Amino acid sequence: MRMRPIVETDIDELQALARETGVGFTSLPDNREFLAARIASTVSAFEERTPVDQRLYFFVLEDEETGRLAGCCAIEGQVGRETPFYHYRLGTLAHSSVQLDLHRTIDTLFLSSDHTGDAEVASLFLRPEYRGGDHRHQRNGALLSMMRWLFMAEFRDRFPEKVLAEMRGVFDERGRSPFWECLGSHFFPLDFDEADKLTGLGQKSFIGELMPKFPIYTPFLSEAARACIGEVHEHTRPALAMLKKQGLRWEGYIDIFDGGPTVEAYIDDVRGVRLSRRCRVEVKAGALEASPRPRWLAATTGMAGFRAAWLGRGPDEHGVVTLDEGEARRLEVASGDTLRILDTEEEA
Amino acid sequence: MLVIRPVRPADLPSLERLAGSATPRLTNLPAHRDRLEERIARSQRAFAGDIDAPGDEHYIFVLEDLERGEVAGTATIRAQAGVREAYYTYRQETLIHASQQLDVRREVPTLALSHEVSDATLLCALSLDARYKGTSAESLLRRARLMFISQYPERFADLLAMAFPGYLDGQGESPFWNSVGRHFFVRDYQEINYFAGVRSKSFVAEVMPQFPLYLALLTPQARAAIGREHPDHESAMNEMLAEGFLRSRHVDIFDAGPVIKGERERLASFRRAAWHPVRIRPAHALPDAEPAMIANQRLADFRCVVARYALSPTGQLMLSPEHAELLGVEEGRAVLAAPLALPGADADEPGYDEGEL
Repeated sequence: MRMRPIVETDIDELQALARETGVGFTSLPDNREFLAARIASTVSAFEERTPVDQRLYFFVLEDEETGRLAGCCAIEGQVGRETPFYHYRLGTLAHSSVQLDLHRTIDTLFLSSDHTGDAEVASLFLRPEYRGGDHRHQRNGALLSMMRWLFMAEFRDRFPEKVLAEMRGVFDERGRSPFWECLGSHFFPLDFDEADKLTGLGQKSFIGELMPKFPIYTPFLSEAARACIGEVHEHTRPALAMLKKQGLRWEGYIDIFDGGPTVEAYIDDVRGVRLSRRCRVEVKAGALEASPRPRWLAATTGMAGFRAAWLGRGPDEHGVVTLDEGEARRLEVASGDTLRILDTEEEA
Repeated sequence: MLVIRPVRPADLPSLERLAGSATPRLTNLPAHRDRLEERIARSQRAFAGDIDAPGDEHYIFVLEDLERGEVAGTATIRAQAGVREAYYTYRQETLIHASQQLDVRREVPTLALSHEVSDATLLCALSLDARYKGTSAESLLRRARLMFISQYPERFADLLAMAFPGYLDGQGESPFWNSVGRHFFVRDYQEINYFAGVRSKSFVAEVMPQFPLYLALLTPQARAAIGREHPDHESAMNEMLAEGFLRSRHVDIFDAGPVIKGERERLASFRRAAWHPVRIRPAHALPDAEPAMIANQRLADFRCVVARYALSPTGQLMLSPEHAELLGVEEGRAVLAAPLALPGADADEPGYDEGEL
């Protein structure tokens, strides 16, 4: 299994992935034209033909044995540059009066575009057949999630100060968002799916036009809607846990539609960015000892032909990492090349 | 015989009783002896003062039933609704949210805190014994204040306002308060209303949510209560609309009761009030005539009664000796008279204040 930038010929497989993602997965709509544009944008970004603030880096997880795509993930160079990027910020207002012997704090949602200009990690999807069960030992989900930190560390000057990730919010058993039902539905003449779809397609101007501009006092929301604020869909919990382990934190920003949390960090503080380092490659023929569970994550250091994969072992005390021929082939490196390596189990 | 006069210290027990029997309880008339005593003193200063512009004066009037020898009602004029503190209301506003992308246009109603009514003169704190309800005494108590303002215009604002008690359900609960204020105060409506009366409504208002409220997020019961007067006050509302008051976009911040506004010049009692010299005639010799409010022009000894609007051919107002004595006027002195009946008003189509549209 290896990660590589998406290419034009992946379009059919990508659309198949998009079809599998479902509601609430805004960034991967089942729309061929849109997906083709995403691919074109990625190709241009990896060729460094696009300005850094408009780049999309879209990666796919490739099953070398079958040639199938097992999953995908992306990095947006900067959000909110071409279309507005909205959140609600959960804030606190004190309502206090000495005369009334009253001191209460009221949670309030403020419409915000505070994250304009931040990088975003997004669109992470792993096909069910590559998760859990027999595949648990492969750590495909971790590969998808963490390889982005190596990419950002390697090309640090292409990214801004901060990074964020929007997590999918809570939906009930009928696939409805209680947060949307209580808030968004009053202001948008659409159902959640339609609104979500337009957002996914980047057609977001309607949000600014129709969304309430004044803060929302959360006591006016239903209990079910309040319970969604900053909560993730149960399927999203492992992904959130992985990001939190990297140092991303919830700072009170939520999705304006489903109330799901947005987690964020300064890129330089992200564990994978901070702890990954460059190593010299030595390729050895024959079988090499390998850890039973993937631990060392490797990424190449060139923008063009970028690859990432698990390695069976880490670097020695001289900073040299030894690869077997299969690993070298997977990453398309030879002795003397450089790899960026992250020990994913090292204590921060 | 019934007469309107300024409140006196001896009226305190009556005022306390009227405060306790008002339905619903009024913020401006708390059943609290010390507060009422202060208010009486304040009213006396206002009536005695040499005042040339509206300020924080309160003028409290009582309706006295001379036969029964008791005070049957009370009503107040606050020269200016908000003087040292702002007078808070919610203003009903409409925002247009339109999207070219979706080709939709939505009207989004909101309630925004406002201090706009602060400069108006407020007619408030009216409570009347149940047995006088629906009689001319009720109209007299309510509108004698206009006769007073008409005589001392410099003491009051050009714009008059009245806040009607809002809708309460069968349990005396305010659906509006339960959907709005209670979230912020964790107290029930009656409790907060009493506090506001005894202490200050602006203490409370300052803790109310300062950003506009989206109506869509309130309960349907709360939305239905906005601008709706308490059922016991419907006839009073109709009378004041007939007088020339207009419904406004403002509602009370606690119970969303309607605030009505009237420019003095447009009110029937001001337009129709006329001065007449008095001629005293025995009661049995007075010709039949429509009832009118008759007021003397003695500030601190202000009196206003309902009597027949019987004019002599030379424009003199013929009063019985009893009424003349009640008003403290001798023959030849001038009194102010205005018909009690109001021009027919179509209560189904209440106008809105033009200045707001």
